[in-house]
Amino acid sequence: MDANDPVSKELKKGSADLLILALVEDRPRHGYEMGRLIGERSYGALNYHVASLYPTLYRLEEKGLIEGRWVEKAGQRRRRYYKLTPAGRKTLAAQRSVWQQFFVALDRVARFREV
Amino acid sequence: MTWRAEVRGALRRQGLPEDDDVVEELAQHAAASFEAGRADGLSTAAASDHVRQLIDGWSRGATRPRRVSEHISEGERRGHFIGFVQDVRYGIRLLRRQPGFAVLAILLIAMGVGAATTLGHVTYAVLVQPLRWPGADRIVLVSETREGQTRTFPGILTNATYLAWRDAPSTLDNIAGYTSRVATLTVGDGPERIRVASATASLFAVLQARALQGQLYTSDNEADGGNQVIAIGFGLWQRRFGERMDAIGSTLELDGDRYRIVAVMAKGFAFPTTATQAWIPMRVPPVLNAADPQARSISLFRAVGRLRDGATVSQAAAEGTARGRSAPSLGLVGTAVFGTQGPPRVSAQPYLESITADVRPGLLMLLAAVGLLLFAAIANVAGMQLARASTRRREVAIRSALGAGAGRLARQLLTENLIIGAAGGVAGWLLSVGLHHLLPQMLPADFPRADEIPSDWRVLAFAIGCAMSASLLFGSLPAVLARRINLVETLVEDGSAPVGHGLRSRVGRMRTAVMIGQVAVAAILLVGASLLGRSFSALMAADRGFDPRNLVTAMLPIPERDVPAAQRAEVLQTIVSRLSHLPGVTAAAVGSVLPLLPFDQPMAFQMPSPRGGNETVSVQADLRTVSPQYFRALGVPLVEGRDFSDADSPGSQPVVIVNRAFVRTYLKDPALGVRLPITAADAAHAHEIIGVVDDVRQRSATDPPKPELYMTYRQAPEAFRMPAPMLVARTSGNPADLVGPLRSLVVEANPRLALDSVMTMDERLIASLARPRLYAVLLAGFGAFALLVAGAGLFGVLSYSVAQRSREIGVRAALGAQPRNIIGLVLRQGFVVTGTGLVIGLAAAAALVRFIGAMLYGVTTDDPVTYAIVVVALAAAAALASVIPARNAARIDPVRAMRR
Repeated sequence: MDANDPVSKELKKGSADLLILALVEDRPRHGYEMGRLIGERSYGALNYHVASLYPTLYRLEEKGLIEGRWVEKAGQRRRRYYKLTPAGRKTLAAQRSVWQQFFVALDRVARFREV
Repeated sequence: MTWRAEVRGALRRQGLPEDDDVVEELAQHAAASFEAGRADGLSTAAASDHVRQLIDGWSRGATRPRRVSEHISEGERRGHFIGFVQDVRYGIRLLRRQPGFAVLAILLIAMGVGAATTLGHVTYAVLVQPLRWPGADRIVLVSETREGQTRTFPGILTNATYLAWRDAPSTLDNIAGYTSRVATLTVGDGPERIRVASATASLFAVLQARALQGQLYTSDNEADGGNQVIAIGFGLWQRRFGERMDAIGSTLELDGDRYRIVAVMAKGFAFPTTATQAWIPMRVPPVLNAADPQARSISLFRAVGRLRDGATVSQAAAEGTARGRSAPSLGLVGTAVFGTQGPPRVSAQPYLESITADVRPGLLMLLAAVGLLLFAAIANVAGMQLARASTRRREVAIRSALGAGAGRLARQLLTENLIIGAAGGVAGWLLSVGLHHLLPQMLPADFPRADEIPSDWRVLAFAIGCAMSASLLFGSLPAVLARRINLVETLVEDGSAPVGHGLRSRVGRMRTAVMIGQVAVAAILLVGASLLGRSFSALMAADRGFDPRNLVTAMLPIPERDVPAAQRAEVLQTIVSRLSHLPGVTAAAVGSVLPLLPFDQPMAFQMPSPRGGNETVSVQADLRTVSPQYFRALGVPLVEGRDFSDADSPGSQPVVIVNRAFVRTYLKDPALGVRLPITAADAAHAHEIIGVVDDVRQRSATDPPKPELYMTYRQAPEAFRMPAPMLVARTSGNPADLVGPLRSLVVEANPRLALDSVMTMDERLIASLARPRLYAVLLAGFGAFALLVAGAGLFGVLSYSVAQRSREIGVRAALGAQPRNIIGLVLRQGFVVTGTGLVIGLAAAAALVRFIGAMLYGVTTDDPVTYAIVVVALAAAAALASVIPARNAARIDPVRAMRR
């Protein structure tokens, strides 16, 4: 797919959004941590996303889906933690269901092809 | 190491702002990554390289690192606008990637909008736009009919009613009579033919017209033998008098009579037609003659009045009727003209309505047709959009899955349609501007208000508004589809089209419905076009009692001053004789009128009843003065008796030829030898009937034949003198070739004479049918366009369907289906769509044609041939549109199709 094609842009953007929203679902995290988690959870396959991590974070923050805050803990560096906003929670739920459908559909297609 | 400098450098290289928070956050991540790399055992240099790559990646990210702005609302607003601009850019990019689609869609919309704009514009300008006189909505045309009349004169008033009503009317402020004619103007260098109106002075009051120079003539100028004065139009003053002030008081000549110019009318004034350039006083003669108590005078003219404030048209009509009935009886002249001495009935009609009544049904029909045409064009674009939408469903599905809101997607699709709509609207406007320039040539010469059709910004606004709203309406189909898109279904469908899904998907169904609509529209337009076309050819071919082919005709005005009355016959004889000797001429003649010309010479006389007894019959007939050979030249069959000859001279027995309608109405067989007391009661001067000719439909094929009397021009008494003789010659070759020799022949005979209105009879026939022809031609054009559009649409639908069903067709082929089965499959699909559209279209047409029933001649609205033609035309178009997709389907390679 052409990288400038709006579809692939949306695809990358959409899946990255979903990943980040999912990461901060349980508790606030800072950027470095998120980058590390994405790498770990996808066995490095999604390393690509680390590069666009911050642009994505800023964009999500601008859209009001997450909220960033500087936090200083004793004995640590000052870090910016991001937490999920109520709007972000809704979006996450909606996207999850769409992706679920998508995967179900892919499954079906795959099975249909095997027959 | 803090990495801040690296981060700042990277941001700077990307041209991004160095937000302190951003720098801080990225620097911290970089530091942590560096430490992690070192911890994993990387060298300092390797870990640094890794971190630098990370930093580069961040700063190269698609979006600008930026903190939440304090002014969200402003940002959002800008965001919306930027979104729209993005949509437009994206839309244009997509359209540029499919230039074929874009060009076709814009062309279709342009044609539909161009036609709709032009016609809507003409309809408004002619039927709705107020007339240019002050308070024009209060101007009414008053006319009368007579109870029991056998002859109608639409839109005329008699001198009897006019004079009885003129003084102190209670419903009208003013009433004015007028007629108009073409006259030869002589002033300064060279004569010129101009249209002149004779009008009572009250016309200027009715129209509230003012003079630019001089004084308007008054009712004092209307007296018989009074000063001959004239008011001239601004254009004439400019052209012939160079806008000189001394034009007032100077004289000019009209048909040899001198007139003193008393006024120059204000610029833009013209009445009753815009071609009218001068106005002379009209005297309305009294019915009774003091000197001769038996004599009655009648004159017919048109009349307009200005309604008094608060008065209605029906009140005016009622007053006119009452006043008219108080007038003296018209006596025998009333019988001559109306075929009755019954009392008058006056009607009043808003003037605008009266001059546009003839064209109203035609214009409204064309407007409706062009609306259908626009629908067909836009529906075709919608069909193409649906096809594109269905191939873009994957894109749309994924974009919506990834969080692009339904509204955002609908907006993108609508934006695309707006781009096409705007481009189509502008192109359509340009087309309508072009058509506007062609209007003078397209519209018949007698089309009312043809020169009052302005071109202004409202036309552009209408065209673009029309295109945009149509595109929005139809463009919302794919958008609605996008809104409802089902991801699972889409992916399943797209991945491997289920067998037979072709037209059954939602897009397919919608496209089929749009397609059926297009076929139906084409059917309706074709039925209308076919009916009007057949009606027009029936009018052209109608038996009018004469043969219009190979005839050249011309008017030969003979001013009294140039040729004294006594010499007229001689001059005419010379010219006709020379004309008949021109090469190729088989017969030449002259007549007081010719068929298709709007002149009548009605007459009436009493004669003893042919059935015996003491009864007398009051005869009314049209008198025509002709030369020998007139019937041969026109191709009017002589039923019995003989034609006039040169032996029928002023000194010999007066003779007359009648038509069959005359015999049917007033005589019993045999008609030959019967003497008619036309000019005098004594038998010695009675005219003997020497021949009977076939009936001629003088004006239009729909007129019933009327009783007619023909006299030879050499015996015609002074009263029946031909006002402007019409020459006619039949040739064996092309009649147009005769025009030149005819002109020079006339000049040779008398250098002061000049021909006017030289035309072949075919040209007169076509000119007399200009409106039916215009309607038929336009509707045929619309029908052809709709047919083309429907054919192209069907081709698109079938091609798409074949592509969609390639897997299914492959399976069928693999299972042993023969190419002809597969071709049949596609053809069937094409014919089902066409058939359904046809049935709907024909049913709608059958319901709609009654509105044009009154415009038809020689063909009825349920004409089976018409419907058969339409069915055949659409079936042929459908077959043509289906052939290529069917052949492509038959060529599908099963192995390849199934592997795909």
